[in-house]
Amino acid sequence: MQALRRLVILCRGDSERIAPWLDEREPRWLLTCVLTIAAGCALYGGVVGLWRAPLQAVYTAVKMPLLIFLTCGGNALLNGLLAQVLGSGLSFRQTSLAILMSFTILALVLAALSPVALFICLNTPTPDSVARDTGHNLTLLFTVIFIAYAGVVANRRLLRLLERCCETPGAARRVFWSWLAGNLFLGAQLSMVLRPFFGMPDMAVHFLSDDPMRGNFYEAVFHALRHLLN
Amino acid sequence: MNQPTEPPNLPTAANPPSFPPDAGLGAILDTLLKRPVVLIHALCDPRPSRHWLLLALAAVPAFALYGLLIGSFSGGTQLLAASVKVSAGALLSALICFPSLYIFACLTGAEVSLRGMAGVLFAALALTGVLLLGFAPVAWVFSQSTESVAFIGTLHLLFWLIATWFGLRLLGHLTKVLGVSERVHLKVWTVIFLLVCLQMTTALRPIIGTSEHWLPTEKQFFVAHWIENVFSAELTASPR
Repeated sequence: MQALRRLVILCRGDSERIAPWLDEREPRWLLTCVLTIAAGCALYGGVVGLWRAPLQAVYTAVKMPLLIFLTCGGNALLNGLLAQVLGSGLSFRQTSLAILMSFTILALVLAALSPVALFICLNTPTPDSVARDTGHNLTLLFTVIFIAYAGVVANRRLLRLLERCCETPGAARRVFWSWLAGNLFLGAQLSMVLRPFFGMPDMAVHFLSDDPMRGNFYEAVFHALRHLLN
Repeated sequence: MNQPTEPPNLPTAANPPSFPPDAGLGAILDTLLKRPVVLIHALCDPRPSRHWLLLALAAVPAFALYGLLIGSFSGGTQLLAASVKVSAGALLSALICFPSLYIFACLTGAEVSLRGMAGVLFAALALTGVLLLGFAPVAWVFSQSTESVAFIGTLHLLFWLIATWFGLRLLGHLTKVLGVSERVHLKVWTVIFLLVCLQMTTALRPIIGTSEHWLPTEKQFFVAHWIENVFSAELTASPR
């Protein structure tokens, strides 16, 4: 019950009540955040994958939380170091917990949007229909919009929390933007590694692509831009 | 009842904060990250301490580990070669620039000893090295996902620039600790140090890719070397 109450407070962004949680030594709140991220992202991932096939729904339900945890884990040391050198006064444990709390908000927003996503999925042209490309593009569009919205909400609350916890507002902003840049940079590449998330209409369902580590998000963007410009 | 209390004294040049001279590596790195001004005070203290040595001992393995990661792009003997070249390159760049740093610091009017200045330089190297280790997981993901030497080279360069920027910020703290207002000479030194480090990447090539030779047989300016590499590869797949 207390965990649920805390999740509600977290969504409200009541930084005065949230800030002391960062000092708690007990792992219960950390575990609540991890489980919420796993459940919320799995639910949303399952819905998105459902457009392609039920098996893809299972795969995406596993991969969405995995993407979040790999991003958090991969950047944990860097984010902790940046928080310290930029004068936030936050420890490595507090840094990881603050970032997990922001991803918890993202997971809650995505979970809340899952019924809407399911409704859109059920009304989108299926992969075996003539208009499957429209279906694919629609799924891509609403996924991007929903994740972007959830990301903006989560990050606004993270910034508010940092402004409360850091020694100066300037330090809070510096730490926030450095974390955001690092997480976006690694997260984009990891999403490339863990693709496909909702699959292509004419491709078989796979957990990962044949050579997942082959290909680089930023090179792909560069080549796409060059192709467009040419 | 409440008694009026004196506020704690803030660290100033006249009132330096205390830092134990026998502090271990963990405490030194913790202070370097969280309270660099306190460490700079301790490094500039005329009393003998082993802080500078411990900082050097932290910096060299940190650069060696990051070098190992750079070498993982090509694998094989390059793992060892990159590890040695990156750590030796960082140390060599610091040694080459150390005399000018001391003189330039004197030109600003700073009253700092040779040992104190060496300590600050090693602190900057250690901070850069530790931050590079923070970037290591991200760099590893990309080094396993690309075939392009130009891309991975640019990425390592970007990470090194960010880490070095934090490391060189210590010089700014030094001027504050010593109460120096004229910083132009140290800014000039910063540019010199960056140019030396960048040229070192070319002087010790290949660090990312492979070659039959351990060291280059032909002299080249780093800008020419980079342009040659980037434009010949054009961000397309290159042999590792």
